[in-house]
Formats: sequence, C-alpha cells, structure tokens
Amino acid sequence: MSASQQDTSGSADAAAGQPSGSLAEPAGPAAEDTRNTGPGRLLIAVYAVFALSATARAGYQILTKFSEAPLAYLLSAFAAVVYIVATVSLAKAGRTWFKVSVTAVLVELIGVLVVGALSLFDAVNFPHETVWSLFGRGYGFIPLLLPILGLIWLYRRRPAAKQA
Amino acid sequence: MDAYFYIILVVGLLSTFLCVGAGILKKAPNDATILSVAAVELSLLVYLVGSIVRVASGERIAGEPWEFWGYLVTALMLPVGAVYWAILERTRWSNFVLAAVGVTALVMAARMNQIWY
Repeated sequence: MSASQQDTSGSADAAAGQPSGSLAEPAGPAAEDTRNTGPGRLLIAVYAVFALSATARAGYQILTKFSEAPLAYLLSAFAAVVYIVATVSLAKAGRTWFKVSVTAVLVELIGVLVVGALSLFDAVNFPHETVWSLFGRGYGFIPLLLPILGLIWLYRRRPAAKQA
Repeated sequence: MDAYFYIILVVGLLSTFLCVGAGILKKAPNDATILSVAAVELSLLVYLVGSIVRVASGERIAGEPWEFWGYLVTALMLPVGAVYWAILERTRWSNFVLAAVGVTALVMAARMNQIWY
C-alpha cells in the first residue's frame, strides 16, 4: 500500500467499491452481506474477548466449585456458549449467519437482563459473580451494552429485503 | 502491584491512547499503532519470563498457579490476534480494535498481580 492510502478510512475496500470506513450500505448485486467490516470488526473483537473470558471463567467455576452455585455456573457456561456463537456468526457472511447472530444477540440481551435480575433478588442461588451477574457489573457493564450495540449493528447491516 | 504491572500499565495506556487517537483521526493501522501493540506484547513477554524465573527460583504464587498462567497465556495471545484482525482490514475501526489491547492487557495484569500476591 502506498503512503497516500494510509490516512483514509475507505481506501482499503475501494477496489470492491465498498467504503468500509464509513457506515454506508454495500452497493451492487454482489453486495457483501456481511457484518464484519468497519465498526463490526470492533464489535466482533469485543465479542471474541468476552467469549474467551466467559468460557475461561465458567470453565473454572464448573471445574472447581460447581456445587457452590450450580445454577449460576450453568448459566455462566450458557453465556459463554452464546458469546462464542455470537462471535462466529457476526464474523461470517450471508443470510443464515445473520439470523444466527440476531438470535444469539437477542438471547444474550435477555440473558444479561434475566440473570442480572436474578442475581439481584436471589442471592441464595447466585452467591458469586458470573459474567451476567448484576447486569455485567463485574465487567464495567459491557455485557449489558454489548447486545444493544450488537442489535443496532445487525439492524444496520441486515440483508436487503428485496434483491434486484 | 509490582514492576511488571506498572510496565504494562504505562505501555498499555500509551498504546490505547495512541490507537484511539489514530482511530479518531480516521487513520488506518500504521507502523506506530501496530508497534505500540507489539510493545504491549513485549511487556507481557517480560512478565512471562520474569514469572518463570521467579517460580524457578522458588518463589510461591499466593493464588492458584494455573489461574495466573492461564491469564498470562491468554493475555499474550491478544496482541497477536488483534494485529491479525486489524491488518485484514486497514480502517480506523481496526485502530480501535488495536486500542482494546492495551487496556485489556492492563486489566489482566492487575488481575495477575492479585493472583500472585
């Protein structure tokens, strides 16, 4: 890449006719039905970090102290699976993966709200912190913000309803 | 908090600020931003080597050893993964992805310090 191309936000995909630095919808019949360009890359990166972190934390909890809070830790494992599915499906193109990612992100949103509420009102079954405990307080409330951003992004990059 | 943490704190924050600034200015990942993330990786490698030496010379980890090493190994993978992901698409958003590395490494280093002592 020449030096002059380094300072623009759109030159990377100029050849494909897609200004990936902006939020414009892709044009053309061979339109990329993707969620993994532009801001989506940051979203996927954050999802990947959470997938990794939630899996590690749930794994540790289940392997070492499952009996202390089985319900909470099972939900923790479930959260990890949801994050993994969300990460993978957001990174892939196509209509089917779009549906998978919408499902995953919706489940994630419901999950963080339900587990957040349960952890608030049912301290007996939720004595310890999981990724969705207290609406993700232990992670700077990112688990609460993430699905909302995810849904917004998915809406922006939804597959065109009508093809030419 | 020990020296390893403070090194990662400084390098990580510098890297994050640099990458966020570059992203705001709509720059694509360039030598500066990528090297700043490489510097974070280097700081983590220093932490790794130092920790191995300390354990080898008999120092005990107060918390769970495998939790400490798990965090460290994971942290070491993040800069590599982020640079790979960022290089595939050279836009301002890739710089924001790179920016996440420094601050994440910092949080993990804090946690590792907690486990060690």
